[in-house]
Amino acid sequence: MMPRIAPAYRDVILAGAGLLALLLLPVLFPHPALRDFVVYVIAYGLLAMSLNLLVGFTGLVSFGHAAYFASGAYVFGLLMQSGQVSVPVAMLAAVGGTALLALAIGAICVRLQEIYFAFITLAFQMFIHSVILTWVGLTGGDQGLRGGIPRPPFLGIDLNDARTLYAFCVVVFVACMLVMRQIAQSPFGYTLRMIRDNPQRANFVGVNVPRVKLAIFVIASSIASVGGIVLALFVSGAYPDFAFWTTSGEAIFMIMLGGTQLFIGPLVGTVMLQALNHYVTILTEHHGIVLGSVILVFVLGLRRGLADYIHDWAMSRRIRRAAPDQREAPRDKLA
Amino acid sequence: MAHVTDGLHRRGVLKGAAAGTAAALAGFPHIAGAQAKVIRIGMPTILSGRVAILGTSSRAAAQLAIKQFNEAGGAGGRTVELVDRDSKGRPDEAAKVTRDLINNDGCEVIIDAEASSGSFAVQEVIRDLPVLCVHTCSETSSLTADPKIHVKTAFRCARQGIHDAVAGGKYASGISKTKGLKRWMTCSPDYAYGRDNTAEFMEFAKKFDPAIEVVDQVWPKLFAPDYTENLTKILQVKPQAIYSALWGGDLVTFIEQGNLYRLFSNFDFFSGGLGDGPVLTAIKQLPPGMNTAYRYNRFYPDKPGNLAFAEAYNKLTNQEPTNWAWQNSLACQFIFEALKRTGGKTDGAALAAELKGMKVQSPFAVEDAITMRDTDHTIIGYPVAWGRTVTKLPYVEGFSPVAWSEIIEFETQWKASKGYV
Amino acid sequence: MDLQALAGCLASTSCAVTQASTGLIVGMLLFLVASGLSLIFGVLGVINFAHGAFYMLGAYFAFTAYAVTGSFALAIAAGALGVAVFGMVFERLFMSRVYGRDILMQLLVCYAFILILDDAVRTIWGAEYRMMGMPDAFALPPVEIAGGFIPGYYLFMIGTSFAVAVLLWLGINKTRFGKVVRAAAINPQMVAALGTNTTALYAGVFGVGSLLAGMAGALAAPIRTLTPGMGLSILIESFIVTVIGGMGSIVGAFIAAVLIGFTRSFGSIGFPLFVDGLMFGMMALVLVVKPSGLLGRPAT
Repeated sequence: MMPRIAPAYRDVILAGAGLLALLLLPVLFPHPALRDFVVYVIAYGLLAMSLNLLVGFTGLVSFGHAAYFASGAYVFGLLMQSGQVSVPVAMLAAVGGTALLALAIGAICVRLQEIYFAFITLAFQMFIHSVILTWVGLTGGDQGLRGGIPRPPFLGIDLNDARTLYAFCVVVFVACMLVMRQIAQSPFGYTLRMIRDNPQRANFVGVNVPRVKLAIFVIASSIASVGGIVLALFVSGAYPDFAFWTTSGEAIFMIMLGGTQLFIGPLVGTVMLQALNHYVTILTEHHGIVLGSVILVFVLGLRRGLADYIHDWAMSRRIRRAAPDQREAPRDKLA
Repeated sequence: MAHVTDGLHRRGVLKGAAAGTAAALAGFPHIAGAQAKVIRIGMPTILSGRVAILGTSSRAAAQLAIKQFNEAGGAGGRTVELVDRDSKGRPDEAAKVTRDLINNDGCEVIIDAEASSGSFAVQEVIRDLPVLCVHTCSETSSLTADPKIHVKTAFRCARQGIHDAVAGGKYASGISKTKGLKRWMTCSPDYAYGRDNTAEFMEFAKKFDPAIEVVDQVWPKLFAPDYTENLTKILQVKPQAIYSALWGGDLVTFIEQGNLYRLFSNFDFFSGGLGDGPVLTAIKQLPPGMNTAYRYNRFYPDKPGNLAFAEAYNKLTNQEPTNWAWQNSLACQFIFEALKRTGGKTDGAALAAELKGMKVQSPFAVEDAITMRDTDHTIIGYPVAWGRTVTKLPYVEGFSPVAWSEIIEFETQWKASKGYV
Repeated sequence: MDLQALAGCLASTSCAVTQASTGLIVGMLLFLVASGLSLIFGVLGVINFAHGAFYMLGAYFAFTAYAVTGSFALAIAAGALGVAVFGMVFERLFMSRVYGRDILMQLLVCYAFILILDDAVRTIWGAEYRMMGMPDAFALPPVEIAGGFIPGYYLFMIGTSFAVAVLLWLGINKTRFGKVVRAAAINPQMVAALGTNTTALYAGVFGVGSLLAGMAGALAAPIRTLTPGMGLSILIESFIVTVIGGMGSIVGAFIAAVLIGFTRSFGSIGFPLFVDGLMFGMMALVLVVKPSGLLGRPAT
């Protein structure tokens, strides 16, 4: 018999393997464009993955998740531009600041049900977007944080080197994925699913539904802010577009493209959208028509994300293969 | 519009397609060798959404210039091709696309035809990947004036807010003094360019005519669909003169909606953005006698080369050239001259060394040459003039230039006041 | 903040009349777009995020019809009816497949169409700025009312929108068709069981909603610049109107549209830089106090 590995250890092993693969990738294919692509996927992947904690796991459809993505990027960028703090301190402050922001906004939002939750998160996002645009003295308004974000070396790590920056982003990414995986598999994670499937029942069994919703809202927003930090590091700036509703829309698109049911689904969607975007923009300037058509094929054709589709297909195959055995089993008994 | 992309671009697209397929199959292999025969110039720009005309006209002008350059034999045995890519108006996308153009498509020179915020993002990419980059659309002065933002291989070949402000202030004060225009109002889009441009214009207008007083300011949103609330506010305030930094489609809407109120006969109107072909032709009832900064005009500077450019551009696109068009055409001229001098070598530092202080004989020059100033990598000697609208083609006439010596004098003072020098 | 200026304006009839008319001008076009959005949500339970793109289509249809025929009436008809037909086709071929599914699926179908339509408009009509031009009939000096000035075209626009509002209200509240529509909004299965063809009903309602967006676009074409992507800002504002008024309530949309219009017009006098923030603030406040909006049915 195979020794049984506890799921937590299995996740850590998987994460280690993923980390190793991502770190080896630029060694095997030493092309800067591939690194750029992966960093981009990491930034938006964290946004999509964290949004799925709300949408897929808790059933909270947020239209305003990009607000926290932007908040991470801006707080981080501003702190680094002040020249007072090191990269890790600025990162912690950005995540902490975003968590506080999400706590304040979430406390108001989680009281609303279903579609009204979506509306109010959208309203707050647009409010934050207009604050970024209006507060020119601090944020640079529509021009974003100009003049680049300095990356002073810390603990012997120099992020000005593109390879180091890549490795740093990969490590941060894998750490965040592991955190999200642990949340998803924990009793708390199952409470989230219960709230999604049957909030009344959750209430009856003694779950403080608003408090749990608020907790996951804050966690998801904090992880989204890490995505924002990665993007700010990569493009060496922060821009109001990060907080615009189209960015939230894209995150939703990535989730739906990849699938909501599988943990890794949104990441699959991110890779797909970023790759699509990348190649379609190269091939034609009519990317609107092409991307729009691809969305329609997915929504109306597959009717679910790609990862979910493959998962369902694999499951149905397994069931079909298992089915004959089951049919034979009773006959044996009869005989 | 689609046929505009024929020729060079289509070939670029096919190569891009081949490159894309190859990259999809084998990760991201390097496609262009270090010294390929064809020099690829990458152009990150905006080709979709509300300001797509910025990208389409920038691209058309660059293609026109490249075609002529290649037909004349190129530089050092190398010809040039343009690889354009849509950033969708998003700065982070502009950064990514620029990196891709350099890293993946083997572009050895970048013409950055991004709007202001995108150009700051591209500037940071160039800091990392130091190829020659010429910004052709950003008019925000700090891009080149602020030493903190300066990048050794990045240049600007575009008009600049501060130059326009000095020229505009000078021109406006002349009219305000003779007509006694004391009560001024401004109506500009509420974003960094609109606010800076308006503040600088009024600052210089007041400097030249201290009697000017700004009695009210309204700030419609960028891309606002409706200006009625601002127009009726103007009706209430009853100013004698108005300055507006509105541009493009926003300005078209503002003027047409103002026409409904018969507004423009009540005051003198000064516009920073009206003198652009597509704006002038889009307005159905252009009020005569409006004052506008020069953006582009086929009869000014009155040179055969300028007219020839306008006609060739018009043949290609069926439109009048835009402000962006001449800036991109001139940028190509600068780049080609530098390439000739390096013998086709595209090393960023080498090209930048040639570009610093370079003078080119240009049909767009007010005198005979436009200079790429060596200190701050930006052009001087381009047309900064103001004219008045007329109802027939070419819609703007009577350009009165402001001497560049005077502009530079005030620019230097302004730089000192900002702590840039 | 310049509340003194605001008080001064309210005290003078000419200013008050002009600004009130501004509120109506801004508000009425918003109402046309928002009422369509609200109607579709009320009956079909879907949010048509492509509504702004429909408004854009209406404007471009009107632009072309006017350029070809020179008739303003035909231009309005082309904008309104063209988009109505497009809306019905969109509903039958695409939207109807995601009814009852995840709201995100509906969002994605609309998002796809925003991308496709913006791109298609740019391909067909070009990226340059377009203006339809004011019909000669309206080339008159502005009308003076109690010292305030209102352009003739705006009087026509307000009048038309108001007439549409009344017709909509009568249609929904006083006709048999309206009864069926209201019933379908509450219990579609029952309506179907009683022998009404709900498929046709849904397509019809979607068509009417689209017609309103197309008509708004056509009415806007002489006074607003046409560019690809012009639907974006109108979508956001009409969405705010719909949420404040109550999803599904036409009267609510009317009140909220006028409210937003007046906030814009008088706000530009009293607190010009805070108008946008105030709109999102109002939306958030309404959602917190009464999520279903001013006149919306409470969520069941």
